[in-house]
Amino acid sequence: MEIFAQLILSGIALGMIYGLIAFGYQLTFATSGTLNFGQGEALMLGAMVGLTLVGHMNYWLMIPLVLVFGALQGVLVERLGVLPALKTKSEFGWIMTTISLAIIFKNVAENVWGHDDVTFPSPLPTAPLQFFGLRVLPMEILVVAGALAVMLAVEIFNRKSIYGKAVVATSNDRDAAGLMGINTGMVITFSYALSSMTAAFAGVLVAPLTLTGATMGAVLGLKAFAVAIIGGLNSGMGVIVGGLILGIAETTTGYYISTGYKDVPGLLLLLLVLAIKPAGMFGKSVIKKV
Amino acid sequence: MNIKMKSIVTAVALAASFSAMAADPIRIGLSGPYTGGSSPMGVSMRDGVKLAASEINAKGGVLGRQIELVERDDESKNERGVQVAQELINKEKVVATLGYINTGVSLASQRFYQEAKIPVLNNVATGSIVTKQFLPPEFADNYVFRTSANDTIQSAMIVREAIDNRKFTKVAILADSTNYGQLGREDLEKALAAKNIKTVAVEKFNIKDTDMTAQLLKAKEAGTQAILTYAIGPELAQIANGMEKLGWKVPMMGSWTLSMANFIDNAGKNGEGARMPQTFIQEPNTPKRKAFIDAYLKAYNPPNGRIPSPVSAAQGYDSMYLLAAGIKQAGNTDGVKVREALENLKEKIDGVVTTYDHPYTHDNHEAITMEMVTMGEVKDGHVVRAK
Repeated sequence: MEIFAQLILSGIALGMIYGLIAFGYQLTFATSGTLNFGQGEALMLGAMVGLTLVGHMNYWLMIPLVLVFGALQGVLVERLGVLPALKTKSEFGWIMTTISLAIIFKNVAENVWGHDDVTFPSPLPTAPLQFFGLRVLPMEILVVAGALAVMLAVEIFNRKSIYGKAVVATSNDRDAAGLMGINTGMVITFSYALSSMTAAFAGVLVAPLTLTGATMGAVLGLKAFAVAIIGGLNSGMGVIVGGLILGIAETTTGYYISTGYKDVPGLLLLLLVLAIKPAGMFGKSVIKKV
Repeated sequence: MNIKMKSIVTAVALAASFSAMAADPIRIGLSGPYTGGSSPMGVSMRDGVKLAASEINAKGGVLGRQIELVERDDESKNERGVQVAQELINKEKVVATLGYINTGVSLASQRFYQEAKIPVLNNVATGSIVTKQFLPPEFADNYVFRTSANDTIQSAMIVREAIDNRKFTKVAILADSTNYGQLGREDLEKALAAKNIKTVAVEKFNIKDTDMTAQLLKAKEAGTQAILTYAIGPELAQIANGMEKLGWKVPMMGSWTLSMANFIDNAGKNGEGARMPQTFIQEPNTPKRKAFIDAYLKAYNPPNGRIPSPVSAAQGYDSMYLLAAGIKQAGNTDGVKVREALENLKEKIDGVVTTYDHPYTHDNHEAITMEMVTMGEVKDGHVVRAK
C-alpha cells in the first residue's frame, strides 16, 4: 500500500508537468484552432534562459523575467509561423511552420548553451520530506502548486477581466467576435504569448527535477500533446485529469508490469479515446459545417 | 591566347599536384560523437588522437609523411555513422579510421571498412560483438580492431567486484534501452550466471527518462544490496538522485560510463562511491601518464583541470600510436598490409593505458585484457583508484 501511494505521488508530480504543458496547447487551440508544436522547445528555452539568469539572481526574481521572455517568444512564433498561415486560410501550413521553428529553436539553444545536460540549482532543499512514510521532494510540491496556480490564474483572467472576455468570445466564435469589434488577431497573438509563457514557466519548474539541456523539451512536449488529446483540446479540467492519468499510468505500469512497457498504457488510452470520443474525455464535440 | 593561357594554368596546376604528391599527408579518418549525450567521450577521444598525431608529426610523421586527421561528427546516430564511413572511404580516401564511441554506430558502419579492406580501430565502443562481426569462415580477414575494454571484460569485473570482493548476493541490473545498455545487460547476466547468482530485478529505462521511481522501488522491494548499471551519464545521475529521493542507498557499480563527467556533476554527492572498470584514471602514476595528462591539459585546458572522459582520451591517444606503428611496419598505406602489420606488431609500444607487446594477432583483435583494467571510484567529484 505504501508503495502504491508512493507511485501515485510520483505519478501526480509527473502528470502535473504534462498537464501544464498540455494547457499551453489548449490556449492557442481555443482562440485560433492552431497548435504550437514547439511547446516542448518553448519549455526548454524557458529553462535555459532561467538557468542563465539564475547565475546572477535569486530563483524567485528570475521567474518574472522568464515569463516575459516566454511571452515574447510566443509572439515571435505566432508572427513568423501562424499568422501567415491564418491569413492565407491555409488549413495545415501552421503545422509545418511551428515544427520547423521548434527545430530552429533547438539548434539555436545547442549553439548558445552547448550540448550537455546540466543540473539546475534547486531553490528548495533537495532532501525529501516525509509524510506517513511517503517521500516527496519539496520541488515536486512546488511543481504541482505552480501548475495549478497558473491554470487558475488564466481561468480567473478569462472569466473576470474584459480582456479575458474577449478571449472567450474569440474562442466561441471568431467571426462573430470580429464583427462585434474584438480585434481577434490581437487575441490570437495574446493567446500565443500566454501559451509560451506557461511553457517557459513549466520549464523553470521542472528543470530542478530533471536535467536541463537543449533536448529536454522533445519528450515532454510529445507526452503533453497526448495528454491534450486524451483530456480534450478545449477542456481545462481535461488536461489536469489527462495529465494525472498519464503520469500515474507510467509509474504504476513501470512497477507492476514492466518498466519496458511503461509508456504503453497511456498511448493505448490515447488510441481508445480517439476511437470512442475523438474530442477527448472532457471535450465538447463540435459539428463542423462545410 | 585563351587556350594557351588555359594550358599554362593546367600545366602549373599539374606540376603543383605532382610535387605535393611526394610528401602527401597520410589521411586518417576520425569518427565520433562531438555533440549530444556521448560528446564528453567523443571530444576526449578526438583530443587524445589529435594529441598523439601532433606528437608524431612533430617527430617527422610516419614514412616521412605527415598525418592528417579527417574529423567527422557521427552524432551517436547509426545512420549518420554510415554516411560518415562512406564519405571517409570514398571521398576522403582515408588510409584507416579511428573512433566509434557508440556500439550501435560501430556495428552499423564498420562493414564499409571491411568491404573496402581498410582497417578501423574502435577506441571507445565496448560492445562484445564489435570485433566479432567479420569472423572466419565467412570472412577470411577481419579489419576491425579495438583498444578499449570490451563488455565481456567489464561485466566480469563488475560482477567480481559485487559478488567476490564485496560479498553481495542480491543484485539488480538497471540498463537503458539502447544497444549499449541491452547488450551490456546480457553480458552482466552471463557473468552472474557463471557465479550461480540470479538477479533479483532487471529494469529498463529510456534515454531522457527523468523519473526512476518505479525501477528503483522494484529493486528496493526485491531486497537489492547493490545496483549494477549499464547506461550513460545523464540517466545514471537520475538513478543516483532517485535513490536519494526514496531515502534508500545501496552501492552502485557498473560499466565505465559511471566515470563520465555528466554523471559525476549531475549526481553530485549522490554519485559518491560509484565504482566502474577503468583502463585509465587521471592520476600521474607513471612518467608516461604524467606526460600525457600534462600535455592534454596544456593543449585543451578543460574546466577544473579534469579531462571530460580520461578513458576515452587515453584510448584515443594509444590507438593513434598503434595505427602509426602498423603503417610504419607495413612500409606503405595499403589497407591489407597495414592490417597484416597490426596483427603482428614487432615494435613494443609504450602507451598510456599499458605497454602494448604484440597486442593483436590474426584471430585476436582486442588489445586490452582484464589485467590492464582497474576499478575506479567516484570521490569528491573525481575518479580515483578504488581501494
